Amino acid sequence: MVSELGEIQSFLGDTAPFDSLSPDMRASITRRITVRYYRAGEVILASGEQNDHLFIVRSGAVELRLAGAELTARLATGSCFASPSLLRGGEIRNTTIALEDTLAYLLPGQIFHELRQNSAQFREFFAESESERIRSAVRELKLKRSNTLEQSSIGALLTHRQPVSCSPDTKVSDAARLMSESDVSTLAICADDKLIGIFTDKDLRNRVVARAIGFDEPVSTVMTPSPVTLPESANISEAMAMMAAGGFRHIPVLGQHGELRAILSATDILAHLGDSAIDTGMLVARAASPEALVSAAQGIPDGFTRMEAGGFHAEHTMRFTSALGEAVHRRAAELAEVELGPPPVPYALLVFGSLARGEQLVGSDQDNGLVIDDRVDEAGRTYFETLGTRISDMLDEAGFVYCKGGIMAKNADQRLTVSEWQSRYEDWIDNPDEDKILRATIFFDMRAVHGNLELESRVRDHVLEKVAGNRLFLSYLARDAQRSRIPLGIFRNLVLEKSEDGTKGFDAKAQAILPVIDIARSFTLSEGLAAVGTLDRLDALAEAGRMARGDAESLKDAFLLVNELRIAHQAAQLRAGKQPDNIIAPSSLSPLERDYLKDAFSVIRGGLDSLKRNLAGGIA
Amino acid sequence: MREAFRSWRFARALRACAAQGDERLTRYAAADWPAGDMAMADVSLLALDFELDGLSKDAHLLQAGWLPFDARGIDLRAAQSFDVRSRRTLDDDAVAIHGIGEQRARAGEGIGGVVDDLVGALAGRIMVAHGASVEREVISRVTRARYGHAIPVRSICTLALERKLNPNLVGNGPYRLAATRKRYGLPDYGQHDALSDALAAAELLLAQLSRMPAATRLGSLERL
Repeated sequence: MVSELGEIQSFLGDTAPFDSLSPDMRASITRRITVRYYRAGEVILASGEQNDHLFIVRSGAVELRLAGAELTARLATGSCFASPSLLRGGEIRNTTIALEDTLAYLLPGQIFHELRQNSAQFREFFAESESERIRSAVRELKLKRSNTLEQSSIGALLTHRQPVSCSPDTKVSDAARLMSESDVSTLAICADDKLIGIFTDKDLRNRVVARAIGFDEPVSTVMTPSPVTLPESANISEAMAMMAAGGFRHIPVLGQHGELRAILSATDILAHLGDSAIDTGMLVARAASPEALVSAAQGIPDGFTRMEAGGFHAEHTMRFTSALGEAVHRRAAELAEVELGPPPVPYALLVFGSLARGEQLVGSDQDNGLVIDDRVDEAGRTYFETLGTRISDMLDEAGFVYCKGGIMAKNADQRLTVSEWQSRYEDWIDNPDEDKILRATIFFDMRAVHGNLELESRVRDHVLEKVAGNRLFLSYLARDAQRSRIPLGIFRNLVLEKSEDGTKGFDAKAQAILPVIDIARSFTLSEGLAAVGTLDRLDALAEAGRMARGDAESLKDAFLLVNELRIAHQAAQLRAGKQPDNIIAPSSLSPLERDYLKDAFSVIRGGLDSLKRNLAGGIA
Repeated sequence: MREAFRSWRFARALRACAAQGDERLTRYAAADWPAGDMAMADVSLLALDFELDGLSKDAHLLQAGWLPFDARGIDLRAAQSFDVRSRRTLDDDAVAIHGIGEQRARAGEGIGGVVDDLVGALAGRIMVAHGASVEREVISRVTRARYGHAIPVRSICTLALERKLNPNLVGNGPYRLAATRKRYGLPDYGQHDALSDALAAAELLLAQLSRMPAATRLGSLERL
């Protein structure tokens, strides 16, 4: 008999968790499928009835309604539903309705149970708890990332520069001069083309100078004999592990025939992994002119893509990218001060939003302002007007483009004294309305990056004190958070936004990241906690007992998961020479990633619901 | 009136079938055939598709695929697909479309057994195909060759039904199987083997039925 029902088999092959089954297994379950068609609006499963099938959406979309009422999830092509009823013996709790004309594949419950019994992946996929699933998703992503380290060989890192070497009878003084002239910190000691030892800066310090050994002694008496080596084909993680275990930073790398190829340093590895972030940071910090600053800042996207390619986890990539952004802001302020002379009164440069939280990716616009000592006079205000304008202009040129909402130091309402900031915050807190809160949430993620940090803490302490326990204000915050349109599992219709080049996708920032930030911010403020970063806030909430540890961990994982996808998406755009955005096309994700995302959305929805229950009640 | 005439003709053809003295034809004739006023929800159906080596009247049958179903759903357990053995040099164009090379066709089943199985599957069922006249014609031809007698077939043509449901589309293109399926939100099938096409027609009929009153009678859809 010929290969049959190939369409259905190949569909299952692309659909989690069936993609994890063997082709033979897929062929045999294909035969057990019943195909059904539901017209838009038709009830597929009604709460309270019995069900004995796992449903797979082949085309169209369905909506699951908890107890027939509140919307809980929308599922499209490739999604499974009705598994919970199979797991609890058939009783249906979610009424399921066809949102569109829907073709569904039904797999008998008995097959579902057999597959769960025989396949760990299948079982894991239908694990009852979503937070469990998302945790395993993050684990898997991290594993995938560290795999890239295991797959790159150190050969790829080696510069083509000939290693600097000398013979064992070379005098210590000549060896040191050779190192100095060649600008290397490690010297290879070779006899007959074979490596017999290495001699480093540290050896010079510890074994020669500290022990007062004569500079005329042969280097062989102070070198490290028979050093550990690695073949060129070794992978990066082996080299890292060896350095970590041995406490050294240099490893000689040997070629196929045991000849010395190069000395691999920890710096080489760091550079490969995205230490260009560190280099860029140095260039930024040392930039002597606005032009030099702009050109140094141009290295940020490159550092970002290399961190992504190098397998950095989302939290590290965000932290490094933010650190660089912060450095650019600080340097812009310093350079502006150089141009204008020292400030007449103390001030600080404030940043708001993602940079304040330490969660910046590339392509962000600037959100900043100045907080100025209350003693400032009119002439002083003119100074800060020029200063703020210079800072904003420099940042714009350096890639932190002007803020569309006007939140930048060049605008007068962003250059306030301590007491002016305090009363501005007071107005938001004491007289909230929807529109004000919509525009004000960003101000509650604030940090000073330059100047007199004490000015910022006077504003912040005042704000924290005013907010904590202010039910009305908190309820506005909590309600504002509910605006975000979280896609509940569906990857079409309702949730897709158009990106600039017209491709459709979901907005990873607006629809997943911002809600988590909102949840963390609202709860943190309600507790009067000072943490600003979202992960820090969630940790602080768990520690303060405001949020169950498990819930905090799930939200952190959801946040990291979406950010991993976002970072990969933006790095791919940068590599393709495109402007990075947050619109991810569902088609660019693997079926598994899509399923993980659905779980992340569900966790976020849970967080928003909890926020609504806990804080939004203050509105009459 | 046309309906009544049609059912009289079918009953008479079944009697002629039974009179052949061939056990397989007798069984076919004696099957539980649905009356024309049966509601579609209760009718047993068989989606059928043939792949031929050309368009001519004597084109050879290369592949047959069918699946029994009803208005509630398509149970794939009983789906069948056969490559039919043929020694004739294949029409190159048709081969390109169906992907059934000569080697595979030679390795297929003998046509006699395939016809026996098909007649067994069709007994008591209404045949469903997109452009059903091709399948009807081929069934006549292959059963006459096998039994010396062509069996009568009752059928629903999804193409003819679509012309009734959506009468105002321009040209033939919008009524082709893929284009019609698209209107009902059915997935795009890239493969063109007999069983995939039979499945495509079965799904299409389910979609079309969802647009009609639940009490729609079988007789109103046959031989439109």
